[in-house]
Amino acid sequence: MTRTPWTIEPRLGGAGRSVLIAPVAAMSVTVLIGAAITSSLGVSPLRALYFLYIAPFSTLFNFGEVLLKTAPLLLIAQALAIGFRAKIWNVGGEGQLILGAIGGSLLPIFFNDSDSMLMLPGMIALGMTCGMLWAAIAAWLRVRFNANEILVTLMLNSIALQLLYYLVSGPLRDSTGYNFPQSVQFPDSAMLPLLITGTRLNASLLVGLAATAFAWFFVERSMIGYKLEVGGAAPNAARYAGFSETHAVWLSLLIGGAAAGLAGVFEVAGPLGQLQRVVSPGYGFAAIIVAFLGGLNPLGILFAAVFVAVIFVGGDISQTSAGVPYAVNTILQGVLLVSYIAARLFVDYRVRLRAPLRFERAQLQWRH
Amino acid sequence: MANRKILACLAVTIGLLSASVARADPVKAGFITPSPIADVGWAHQIDLGRQAIEKEFGDKVKTIVVDKVQEGPDAARVMNQMITDGAKFIVLGSFGYFNDGLRAAKQHPEVDFIHASGYKQTANFGTFTARNYEGFYLGGLAAGMVTKSHTIGIVAAFAIPEVVAEVNAIAIAVHKTDPKAQIKIVWINSWFDPPKEQEAARALISQGADVLFSLHQDTPSVVNVAEAEHVRVVNTSSDMSKYGPNAVLASVTNDWTRYFVDSFRAAMDGTFKGVDTRGGLASGMVKVTAWSKDLSAEQKATISQAEADLASSKAHVFAGPLRDQDGKVRAEAGSNLPDQEIFGMNWLVEGLSGSLPK
Amino acid sequence: METLTFVLSGTVIAATPLLIAALGELAAEKSGVLNLSIEGMMSLGAVAAFIVVKNTGDYWLGVFIGGVAAMLLAALFAVIVLFLLGNQVASGLAVGILGGGMAALIGKPYESATVPPMPSFPIPILSHAPVIGRGLFDHVLLVYMAPAIAVLMWWIFKSTKVGLVLRATGESPETTHAIGYNVLVVRFLSVLFGGFMAGIAGAFISIASATLWSDGLIAGRGWIVVALVVFGAWRAERVALGAYLFGAATIGQLLVQSIGVEVPSQLLTSVPYIATIVAIALLSMDGKRIRLNAPVSLGRVYREAH
Repeated sequence: MTRTPWTIEPRLGGAGRSVLIAPVAAMSVTVLIGAAITSSLGVSPLRALYFLYIAPFSTLFNFGEVLLKTAPLLLIAQALAIGFRAKIWNVGGEGQLILGAIGGSLLPIFFNDSDSMLMLPGMIALGMTCGMLWAAIAAWLRVRFNANEILVTLMLNSIALQLLYYLVSGPLRDSTGYNFPQSVQFPDSAMLPLLITGTRLNASLLVGLAATAFAWFFVERSMIGYKLEVGGAAPNAARYAGFSETHAVWLSLLIGGAAAGLAGVFEVAGPLGQLQRVVSPGYGFAAIIVAFLGGLNPLGILFAAVFVAVIFVGGDISQTSAGVPYAVNTILQGVLLVSYIAARLFVDYRVRLRAPLRFERAQLQWRH
Repeated sequence: MANRKILACLAVTIGLLSASVARADPVKAGFITPSPIADVGWAHQIDLGRQAIEKEFGDKVKTIVVDKVQEGPDAARVMNQMITDGAKFIVLGSFGYFNDGLRAAKQHPEVDFIHASGYKQTANFGTFTARNYEGFYLGGLAAGMVTKSHTIGIVAAFAIPEVVAEVNAIAIAVHKTDPKAQIKIVWINSWFDPPKEQEAARALISQGADVLFSLHQDTPSVVNVAEAEHVRVVNTSSDMSKYGPNAVLASVTNDWTRYFVDSFRAAMDGTFKGVDTRGGLASGMVKVTAWSKDLSAEQKATISQAEADLASSKAHVFAGPLRDQDGKVRAEAGSNLPDQEIFGMNWLVEGLSGSLPK
Repeated sequence: METLTFVLSGTVIAATPLLIAALGELAAEKSGVLNLSIEGMMSLGAVAAFIVVKNTGDYWLGVFIGGVAAMLLAALFAVIVLFLLGNQVASGLAVGILGGGMAALIGKPYESATVPPMPSFPIPILSHAPVIGRGLFDHVLLVYMAPAIAVLMWWIFKSTKVGLVLRATGESPETTHAIGYNVLVVRFLSVLFGGFMAGIAGAFISIASATLWSDGLIAGRGWIVVALVVFGAWRAERVALGAYLFGAATIGQLLVQSIGVEVPSQLLTSVPYIATIVAIALLSMDGKRIRLNAPVSLGRVYREAH
């Protein structure tokens, strides 16, 4: 009696259209549970649903906010997914983003009156480099010492935060800003161009979309992407094909670090306009949710990023306009991912109850 | 199915919204705080200000309050949503909302803002800061009076100028009533980590501190430890004596009610001016309450006299001659440290050891 | 309170919740399941225990309910990763977020409220000893129970059949299955145990050490717990050692400041994290040793063959 009363078999030949079932099911469950919680809090569920899911699209500003949030999530999630497919678990996006924000802030802080055309490109290069270097610590420790990258990147997140605190209250602090822990305001040359006036949406969205295209190409068409994936699925086969685990670790973490670093630059060069103690509302962690919610598939991630951005923005709106506590929003993020993962089972696998007869036969076979 | 539901809800909501707009015109006032609104703490005091506005203006006002708003890129959205919902007056309860607030004020000249501890003002963007250092000066006098170990411990959140000024005020005052006293500081580097705050408090007690200062801890974390370890504590924001009936020596509290009510009235009348408001003991913005019963009448009298002198500007906390810990003269004898330097403090006064976290 | 007394008592108070939760996580990881939702489970345990104590004044009921609340969350996690074959990293994060949100919502009416501290249980004679008496032997019962559980788990892993089955499940689920144990049941129970312990750890913070509730009370300690298990190379005695070292580092950091030694406080705050990274690297460097202890199937989805 060591068997479960059901069997789970992988669906062969790809899941096809049924891939859509999981996200749709997860979103529906999230919407329903959202309605249930808010009505138990005395907020009319229809009202809450409107503010949570419709209001983010109701004004140009709000829609701009959704897209503004989508950009970093998309950028980081696409990069993380490349690693996740190869079973390299970089959960340090948050720390890499912070390092990117720090690196990206150096030029506008030290050349504050510059209007050079090279300002933004320089910031981007520095930010990406810093993000990559931060991720490289984890890669090196994994390759050289076999240290688990999940734990190392987690710890690096905490250290990055302290480093940021140190820098904004010391070396990078605005000397004319009454010693508040923040840098000077960036010059216009260091700010990303806005895409739509009247919103805060900036060019970072275009980069996020470009990252999506790149990821799609990388996964579907490139040899490296293929090797990485094989490495994740069957390490021995990959080694046989001449692609070592070392390569996979370096590649995955460096891509993740570069993308998260870039997202960090976009935060300080976008909505923030300076370096300060809070540079990210947890994009590094949310991107992990987005990557999985998108089924580690570049197109799926695009939709997942938009949906998670809607939840973020809708959460703020419903808190302001309908008095729904922020905690509800946090719960819904959890529910969304939990129900998605649950639903994936029925997409990726075929679940059958064991027939009693079959069960006996299995036992007979067992005895042989 | 889901679609139809959403459409229906959309229709209902739009209906509700337009109905509410047509029915009455209470002026909307929004409040944003960084921490959850609880029974005590910074956000609680802001909320008391909100309640005062509601009480004063009755059905002429409708208040919206959003707590626990992170000081990052999201704060701007909450402001924008309040404005979309019709808010004409917005209180920004944390320094971290400063730049977003300034931007929003520029884009929406019809909305008036008041912001906690900012240092720039525009026509519709005013700032307010409490001279908490005056309150902590009084707390420092009392601490010097009651300490038996001649050791005072300070649990401090972040070394921003406001907190540094408080630390300095405590040091100056303590040395007035107990010239021998040593002052020890632990910086938490977090606005919020109650277990760590408590460990810091115990660390200071282990170093002999018998009077603690809880600088900007939102919860009664340090007060709890003081009560359990039988030492004294002076805390920030709210009266916390119910959490430490024996421990609390005094509470340095903020009373925003009058300022909020006045600012809101000005916003309604169209007479709002974006000015910098700094209130201390004189204006009642800072009130030191919950004085311990264990202070003798004589000690109370000394403190009351100091309070009266500060309130009437007869005395000043940072009066010259004032030197920093390197011996550099910061204020000459006969002059007071100017406000600009008080609110930009990044140095410790003579008599304090250690340095500020960089 | 003398300095040494404080160092000792501060260390055990800071270490106890970390150790309790880490032992729970150790059991789960030994069976092959990486549970990253500790932070959320500790929060939920903390708030549940706090509410019980606030309303009934019964501390042990609080501890129990705190454990059960987190265990229910752990059950959800277990169902997802074991029966629905969810990825352990993603599922752990998701359930952790869910738990944190639930704790914040349930605890909203109790924000910043306090309870009297859980009564301590001074150990006769020992608690009267100078310095170490108050430092080590005048605490709530959970403080002494934590190392006792560590010893018990060390013994279970080393010498009992239960320990053997648990380890085998983590090493090679296929073999465990073949010799007639239900892998999923073993793992399910291990994860439940992990949840129960995380809940108790949260309860310790809210009703015994901090004696208050506020959203964010756990402040990242759940992540330290995950690191501790690796720091301790999946061995109960080393996890315990790691927890006390970590507690000592936390206390040392504050003590150094209160004495007045000048070190950037952000650097001090980072020390435990840096130490963990170094420890992970050093432990992992010796490939043989890590292979001896790290559960081979940790983090991998197990699907029963026909």
